[in-house]
Amino acid sequence: MAVIPRPNSTGDSLRRVSRVGDQLVQWGIAIVVVGLVLFPTWPIVYQSFLSQPLYESGQALTLSNYPRVLTNPAIWRVIGNTVILMVGSTLLGSVVGIVFAVLLTRTDVPGRRMFAWLITIPYYVSALILAFTWSAMYGPQGFITVWVRNLGLPVWDLYSLGGMIVVSALYFMPFTYLYCSSSLHLADPQLENAARIGGARPLRTLLTITIPLIRPAMMYSFILTLVSGIELLSIPLVLGAQSRIDVLSTYLYRTAVISGTTDYGTLAVVAILVVGFVTVLVWLQNYFIQQERRFVSVGGKVARAQLLSLGRFRWPAAIGLGLFVLLVILIPLAGIVLRAFTSFLSPLVNPFTLLTLDNFSQAFEFQTYRLAIVNSLIVATVGGLAATIFMALCALLAYRSAFPFRAVVKYLALYPRAFPGTVIGLGFLWALLSFPAVGWLRNTLWILVIAYTMRYLPLGFSAISPSILQISDELDRAARVGGASWRDTIRHILFPLLRPVLISTYILLFVTFLKEYSVALFLFARGSQVIGTTMIEVWAQGETGAVAALAVVQMIIIGVVMGLSRLVPKVKLRE
Amino acid sequence: MTSHNLKPQPVGLVIEHLIKSFGGNVRAIDDVSLTIEPGEMVSLLGPSGCGKTTTLNCIAGLEHPDSGVIRAGDFVMTDTTSKLNLRPEQRGLGMVFQSYALWPHMTVNDNIAFSLRLRQTPAPEIKRRVADILELVGLGQFGSRYPFQLSGGQQQRVALARAVITEPRLLLLDEPLSNLDAKVREQARVWLRGIQQRIGITTVYVTHDQAEALAMSDKIAVMSHGQLVQYAAPTEVYENPATRFVAEFIGATSFLPGTLLGRTGDWARVYVSELGELRVRADRGPQNALRDWVSNARVTVAIRSERVEVVRDGAPHENTFDVRVSQSAYEGSRWLHIVEMKIGTLRLETLDAASDSHLRIHLPADSLFLVPEHD
Repeated sequence: MAVIPRPNSTGDSLRRVSRVGDQLVQWGIAIVVVGLVLFPTWPIVYQSFLSQPLYESGQALTLSNYPRVLTNPAIWRVIGNTVILMVGSTLLGSVVGIVFAVLLTRTDVPGRRMFAWLITIPYYVSALILAFTWSAMYGPQGFITVWVRNLGLPVWDLYSLGGMIVVSALYFMPFTYLYCSSSLHLADPQLENAARIGGARPLRTLLTITIPLIRPAMMYSFILTLVSGIELLSIPLVLGAQSRIDVLSTYLYRTAVISGTTDYGTLAVVAILVVGFVTVLVWLQNYFIQQERRFVSVGGKVARAQLLSLGRFRWPAAIGLGLFVLLVILIPLAGIVLRAFTSFLSPLVNPFTLLTLDNFSQAFEFQTYRLAIVNSLIVATVGGLAATIFMALCALLAYRSAFPFRAVVKYLALYPRAFPGTVIGLGFLWALLSFPAVGWLRNTLWILVIAYTMRYLPLGFSAISPSILQISDELDRAARVGGASWRDTIRHILFPLLRPVLISTYILLFVTFLKEYSVALFLFARGSQVIGTTMIEVWAQGETGAVAALAVVQMIIIGVVMGLSRLVPKVKLRE
Repeated sequence: MTSHNLKPQPVGLVIEHLIKSFGGNVRAIDDVSLTIEPGEMVSLLGPSGCGKTTTLNCIAGLEHPDSGVIRAGDFVMTDTTSKLNLRPEQRGLGMVFQSYALWPHMTVNDNIAFSLRLRQTPAPEIKRRVADILELVGLGQFGSRYPFQLSGGQQQRVALARAVITEPRLLLLDEPLSNLDAKVREQARVWLRGIQQRIGITTVYVTHDQAEALAMSDKIAVMSHGQLVQYAAPTEVYENPATRFVAEFIGATSFLPGTLLGRTGDWARVYVSELGELRVRADRGPQNALRDWVSNARVTVAIRSERVEVVRDGAPHENTFDVRVSQSAYEGSRWLHIVEMKIGTLRLETLDAASDSHLRIHLPADSLFLVPEHD
């Protein structure tokens, strides 16, 4: 047997460039994360201590902005409205969501599967479209309102804080429902069975065992909803426009964008108040995530939970659910679809005599509308893809690298959770004003993609990281020992293994980017408008037909993408 | 002849003063030095948390030691004095992981060819070498399968093939047999050792299974609390444990506390209450047990279960005692008996069931050695 000397020992035949390359890539990702987070936040913090707008000369550092804002009664009225809207819609949405979760997962109410699907519709339709649908149906001149008024009955006022609370609650309800019902699915049925064997009757079991079991999920979604309540721009913007009811988000938008104020100091302080508020809530949310981990016992379960029999209340319950879904979800939705296909919509005229495709031909022929649709699609497809890859790299840097500052990267990637879209929009706007070198970005879609990526970095990061943590790190260690650099390992091992979650994150970001408008309201210019900003503009001009057509287009795109996403094969990660 | 018969010259592994701590002051590796001769297979053996896996990861470059030198022959991979610490991919090693870590999205062929492709090996050569190595591990027909289509034993073979395809400097094995069924594991032991000797590659094998370590290694490095407590051939480790810990960890050993009566040359006399006077080897076992040779010193006598003999005739002999068995367990190939005494527990084995709970046993002087009360 021949014994040959080792030919140019193995390590040396490996490419030697990898050390520099890996570090370059890792530092590159980290620097982009830092830049992305600091770019819009720094101008706001800085501005809150400036006497003049930050792009003007002759500014001086001052502390006077804070006391001036905090002693302004108008601001306090806005804060008061915000708290009422936030707490009211959260309470209403949570109660309805929890009732639905329990009814649809733990009782024998007929049509459970259908209802479970129907009541998540508001989750897929954007809040903006929800506001339009309600306004079109239940607004002062809305179809149903007019119909009821013509019957001589008293009518409601949707353009009030109460109206905002109802519509916002409807938008938040699916979140609570989804969290609580999945928690109910995960809860160990043996815990309930133990109570039953101990002598508890079904209803008692439900109240003393089942519902307390999902308490962490309830608290978590409760706080999530509170955060969304502060952030929410569209519903108060659409419903509060006539009655001039301002909440913090609409105050920021109207003051910064519509009125063109120069009182930047006040805006900055209000923005910082909002961020501080959300930060506290996000901190609470993290606390409840940890609670939930302690509570819910996840594992393969053979036993199916016993359903609580409603007895003779089965059908009344189903009818109640049906009426609810019909009134608050289906009728508004049908209304906007019908509006899109008619020249006019009124209870006094048979809508089927007014059928037309004019609204759609307008949407596709008018340069403004068509460009909005095209821009939205570009931002969602190209921007969504770029954001997905970038967020995956961030998560891999945070969880699968020896990068010395990976903990900082993780923290920064999750930090934008504390920033509502309006604050991010304002921050990017001011950043573009104060850094003339990047001012050219202002009229491009790039700034939208960058700002969306910053806003949804926590969303994508937290969507991808659980899957990364599920992949045994021996798989990348094996690649490294086998001669692969960090980049090789990502390219050949981790990205292919993460493909299912990368695809689902891309779909999530596509839909999110397509619906996003609040950041864009601050940043778009002629030529870079998107569907959301155009709907708001056109709605303000009273062109409800065009708004309805654009809304239908957006819903169809989302529906098609969601439908396609079901076709994506689920690749098993392990075994 | 195929390429794997052209053995490259193996290199040895040298570890000098390796130290690694995790957070605080806990030293996962506490000044370990170890030299492995070229072509040898050495087991790092110890209970979980003893630092064996951390040591292996330091060799692989997956962990960074606080200080120390690691080199394969003349190829220095870690030298903290010159701030040298090659990354795993620069070391040219092969490693088999506990979970095998086969990439689930790649076929067997692709898994094995991965490292060759990174090295820009020409495609025909990759094809030939992968086929050769699959033949070597007895999986010639399985190249186009995916890992999940293979049994545990087959996956383990693929993992080995993948680790050695590049003719690495060293082969590192991290408990590669621990996920196999008991039956398969024993076959895999013989097979793995056979392959290792055929390739002639210097191999570091991490295990907590003493039987594996004894059966497969040229030398065993017993580790405890981050320290290397004994480094010797399997027979030496078994017959002549360096510390009480080694005696306890390897083999089934009974410990009987007693009092030293005296010493003559290589032999000592010890009084063990409940039994009587014992003649014991004094030149074996932990050296620190022999430090204080004053009469009446407290010592502990150790004996392996399988060395205890049952005496059938009634004649009195040296080191022969009557005991009462308190418990017996049938283990298939043998019976295990437990003799509970106030001073401690004595275990012994017989091939047949004991007819009586009263046994006359002989503790051969040659098999008895002294250990300290504590390490």
